[in-house]
Amino acid sequence: MSVLAEPPRRIPRPRGVLTPLALLIVAALAAFTMLPSLIAPYDPIALAMSDRLKPPSLEHLFGTDEGGRDIFSRVVHGTRYSLGVAIVIVFFSALFGVIYGAVSGMARGWVDNVLMRIVDLFFGFPALVLALAVAAAMGRGLDSVALSLAVIWWPGYARLVRGEVLRLRERPHVESARALGVSELTILRRHIIPFVTQEVNVRVTTDIGFALVAVTALSFLGLGANSPTPEWGLLIRDSRSYFGSAWWYLVFPGTMIMLTATAFSIIGDALASRRSA
Amino acid sequence: MILSVRDLAVSFRRDGQELTAVDHISFDVAEGETFIIIGESGSGKSLTGMSIAGLQPQAASVSGSITFKGRELLNRPDAELRRVRGREVGLIYQDPLGSLNPVWPVGDQIAEALTAHGLLGRAEAARRAVEMLDRVHIPDPRRVAQAYPHEISGGMRQRAMIAMALAASPSLLIADEPTTALDVTIKAQMLELLSELKRELSLTVVLITHDMGVVAEVADRILVMYAGRIAEIGDADAIMQRPSHPYTAALMASAMISEARPKQDLDAILGGAPGLGAFPSGCRFHPRCARARDDCSRVDPPRRPWGAVELACHHPVAADATHPLVEA
Repeated sequence: MSVLAEPPRRIPRPRGVLTPLALLIVAALAAFTMLPSLIAPYDPIALAMSDRLKPPSLEHLFGTDEGGRDIFSRVVHGTRYSLGVAIVIVFFSALFGVIYGAVSGMARGWVDNVLMRIVDLFFGFPALVLALAVAAAMGRGLDSVALSLAVIWWPGYARLVRGEVLRLRERPHVESARALGVSELTILRRHIIPFVTQEVNVRVTTDIGFALVAVTALSFLGLGANSPTPEWGLLIRDSRSYFGSAWWYLVFPGTMIMLTATAFSIIGDALASRRSA
Repeated sequence: MILSVRDLAVSFRRDGQELTAVDHISFDVAEGETFIIIGESGSGKSLTGMSIAGLQPQAASVSGSITFKGRELLNRPDAELRRVRGREVGLIYQDPLGSLNPVWPVGDQIAEALTAHGLLGRAEAARRAVEMLDRVHIPDPRRVAQAYPHEISGGMRQRAMIAMALAASPSLLIADEPTTALDVTIKAQMLELLSELKRELSLTVVLITHDMGVVAEVADRILVMYAGRIAEIGDADAIMQRPSHPYTAALMASAMISEARPKQDLDAILGGAPGLGAFPSGCRFHPRCARARDDCSRVDPPRRPWGAVELACHHPVAADATHPLVEA
């Protein structure tokens, strides 16, 4: 007879083609980010005035822009900027928010109160307006976009994690660790954080899509990347003057933003439905 | 006395009102004895147990005095209490699955009791965890130490909990409803294990339960709690043979361990235990008590010696009463 009981049943994954498709898109994006020069057929920066505003063809999959540059190559190289910045924003927001929320939830009492009122202050501001203000004050550039979006992003994590910590700290296994004389810091690290990460992972995945939209939006508004950086939002900004004559210039970068945001959102949903209670 | 509780009161504030869940109780626990606190849910028995380890809910305010080996434990700073918890006072809870962290192997969690107090290094603590699992008679302890809580059976989890609570060799074990979630055979095994460990490790055990069957099995002394107060306290044999407080008598009648009437129907105590903030005047048991008279609803019965025990009742069950509840 085995000492061990039967292994628990796996939680069934949601079926369907969406999740595999989304994973495929993310894999492609990862390749774009890491090896853009291997994938892009042309230089994303160098001008080729003889090829101005060519429609999509086998030579130029997404067509060319007003400088004769291959839009597909620009999109591939741009992944690093648009998606890269979005990931950086979400990563640091999550890191800071988790620590902030964990401290708040563990401390409780007046410390918790003060910390959460500060979070409320950030929530009270219209997010994009706040980001615009920060970006405008810091000057144009992707770094100021990253910082300004991180400033409005972390409070969501702080609030999420604080709630989870308050819920988890009443769990019997936390109570029994406390009864063993385990310190609060170890309790947080070993008995609370592992359960918070599940929630945070779901949030991070979905948020990368939202952050991407925000980054490209700020670039579109002229606060982000500078020409000739092939950042996606900037591509759309530059395409405006040619929309009547060169539809591909707007449509392909726009579709990339939409596909990327949707892919992360789908994966986030898949993670959410797999998490245990 | 290894543990002395004096005038312990645990209260909560609700809507500007002070609600006293444990109402100024006092008792002593002698070294090496099995002391049982019995009562219905809401009687304040668990709060009493948790307060000893300083683990009462944060909203609770606690007053009085709890001395363990001559040292005051009540309202001490958390850092000081942390050194006592696990190291000197071990706790086990009702829900063994919930009380184990699902993301770490069982052995890790037992080892944590030792590393938390800096008693042993990691490797040494892991070895000791296996020893402890063996000590609580878990077969193949090496394998179980590496198993996750969901991979082992309910009885084994409870054994693992006991191993965890005793890993740092505390001298006092507080067990809060340790057998409630278990079926009858496992319950018997668990009580047997507790008695064995108590003997071998010269433990003092405070066992909190609502189960009269547990009392009959292991008790040296009993404290019967009702609505935050002590109804009856004294030697287990004396109380089991002849319960003097009508509540104790009713509890025993409802558990069918009264050997005098083995074939009759079980008696239920009419009504429900009063909720916090809704305690009746006078004796708190009087609305449910078959022996209640006028004075019971007006005058709070003081605790007084009664034969071999102490109780708080105006009209205890008389020594010659054959059936404690018939006489009204």
